[in-house]
Amino acid sequence: MTTVDQSPLARLRELGAAGRLTEDHAAVAQLLSQIASGAQGLADLTRAGQILARRDPDEILRRATDSGETVRPVTVAVTGHSTIEPLVAPLTAEFARHGYLLRPSVGEFDAYLRDLQDPSSHLYSRDTELALVVLDPQMIFDELPKPWSVADVEQTVTAKMAQLDRLVGNYVRHAKATLVLNTVPLHRIHTHSLVDLRSRTRLSVAWRSFNTALLGLSEKYARVQVIDLDPLIAEGGPVHDQRMAVYAKVQLGDEVLSRYAREVGHLIRALHGRTKKVLVVDLDNTLWDGILGDDGAEGIAAATTFRGEAFGLFQRTVQQLGSQGVVLAISSKNDREAVLAVLRDHPDMVLRDTDFARINANWEPKDTNLTDIAARLNLGVDSFVFADDSSFETGLVAMSLPSVAVVCLDDEPALHTSKLLADGWFDVLDLTDEDRARGELYRGEAARSDLLAGADSMAEYLRQLGIRVELKLVEQPDVARVAQLTLRTNQFNLTTQRWQQADVTDRINDPDHLVLSIRSADRFGDNGVVGALFARRDDGELHIENMVLSCRVFARGIEDAVMGTLLAYARDSGLRAVHGRYLPTAKNGKVREFYPAQGFDTVAEGAGGELTFRHDLQTIPAIPDHVRITSNFLDRVEGRLA
Amino acid sequence: MISKADFIRIVRDELALPLADKDLDEDLDQVVNWSSMLLVRLVVALEKETGQKVQISGLLTERTLQGIYARAVGA
Repeated sequence: MTTVDQSPLARLRELGAAGRLTEDHAAVAQLLSQIASGAQGLADLTRAGQILARRDPDEILRRATDSGETVRPVTVAVTGHSTIEPLVAPLTAEFARHGYLLRPSVGEFDAYLRDLQDPSSHLYSRDTELALVVLDPQMIFDELPKPWSVADVEQTVTAKMAQLDRLVGNYVRHAKATLVLNTVPLHRIHTHSLVDLRSRTRLSVAWRSFNTALLGLSEKYARVQVIDLDPLIAEGGPVHDQRMAVYAKVQLGDEVLSRYAREVGHLIRALHGRTKKVLVVDLDNTLWDGILGDDGAEGIAAATTFRGEAFGLFQRTVQQLGSQGVVLAISSKNDREAVLAVLRDHPDMVLRDTDFARINANWEPKDTNLTDIAARLNLGVDSFVFADDSSFETGLVAMSLPSVAVVCLDDEPALHTSKLLADGWFDVLDLTDEDRARGELYRGEAARSDLLAGADSMAEYLRQLGIRVELKLVEQPDVARVAQLTLRTNQFNLTTQRWQQADVTDRINDPDHLVLSIRSADRFGDNGVVGALFARRDDGELHIENMVLSCRVFARGIEDAVMGTLLAYARDSGLRAVHGRYLPTAKNGKVREFYPAQGFDTVAEGAGGELTFRHDLQTIPAIPDHVRITSNFLDRVEGRLA
Repeated sequence: MISKADFIRIVRDELALPLADKDLDEDLDQVVNWSSMLLVRLVVALEKETGQKVQISGLLTERTLQGIYARAVGA
């Protein structure tokens, strides 16, 4: 078929017609990202998903293994009260967009209660990573007597909530997956089936209580997430087509399901610790109205004019993200001094120079600048989101750095904010104190760079830095941060085992485990909890399961001080040896030599480059002079490990 | 009024069904895993294309895509 229509969706269809969808993952992901940022993004992604969902996941995995490509398979069990098959297409596309291969398992019609109840159902299957229980209003209305009164609804929602609470509690005790529920919309055909206004109001009150109680389940159970459909529905489109509901029992329509699928796509990213960390913004016509080089500082606006105010609102959104740990940076084609002057002195600016960890205002290409910012912050560009109003710049970055999430703004600044927030790139399960303080931490990083530039040697720099390390037994308040470190740390992560909060809690509660948090500070400020160490006692020996350390602080002697302290502790406790393991990934190559450098002997090299080490505790490495380390676990666990 | 070629394109693109022209006259059970959901989805897509409402209830008993096409576009 020849076509003049070269839209990304058309190109995807052509790949499909040529039978190349099972092998060209990079091309598919790139097309999906273009489709997502198009005018009909959600609907077109669903169309794309219909094509992609016809592929055989096993065939894709086989081919990927043969060609050495990385695809991340994720098994998602879907169940619900009504017809839920239409969710598979948008979910397939959203997952493929993030590099995941969806392996869906779709339950039978109206099987959600049975699936939740029955430990042999697909929801409980060992492979299942996400269990989506899609709720809709008919779960209540189907159970009402006919005709019904508002009192019937009140009774039914109360009983249904009690039943769900019991089933969900049972599920989280016996299954490993993250369970996803949703709030339930109320239709006008329901409220207006009641003719008296007082009853209508009571129906609305009962319905809101039901939804509030549903949301409460995610407060009550750590591994339960509840997606609030209200904001998704408010974005537009009918909740469903009444004809789909009547003839095909589809209670949630394509538009709502595609928005729901997008949320789930970002949820799986968050669960895997693939949250983006940095937002890089352009300046001219992105943060302010006008072009600084042409219009001058007095000719640009981010307040006072109609268009200016729209930019001011966008700056507030960027500031809001920054206050929650998103590191902000600038890449702008401008003269640096002019940019700094505006950020310091221009009366319209919400964001100031001190809000940004890096300000790259120069005439180099933007992909080069993003790479430079990544190097300076010691982060990968795959943790970057880039927002720019120029399609030339967004196109360049999308092509040259495909792992960067690109937000294509345009000449309508009133829509900048919704475009930036259309995807949940920065979604995390829980925000920690370290997250909130991250902007400050990265600005401290800049001050450290300056000190390093001024110091005569690295040793001199480290001495002046005045590093303090605190090694502590992890207690409940630090669990969220410690789990997050295992999820998000890629470089200094010796075995790259990803643990959710429940996994960390299990280890804390096990007397044979030692879970330590590493906190550091220096003269420029407190870095917070920057690392963790997990070890397990077995038959008089200590096995280090993993150690992670934030890339912000390594190569300052902190890792040496921690390991030296642990080894001394093991020796003093009468343990015979300490074992360690290194499992290589694409990103943790720089810690391959960590254990040998601490005096461990290499015991074996396994398949896939796995290394195992043993330390006989004869010679304990000295703690570096420039680090002052304190620990609270030495006395408190006396007799616990030894 | 949409042409038969448009109709086939809509079935292919909106339902992602690999449809050969001869399949128009085949019994739906022979063509694909047909369901009322696909029918409603097809009708919604046809309505978007033409701006005209299509009566679904009469289409539910049609056994071929040709029959659906004939009724839906009034050909």
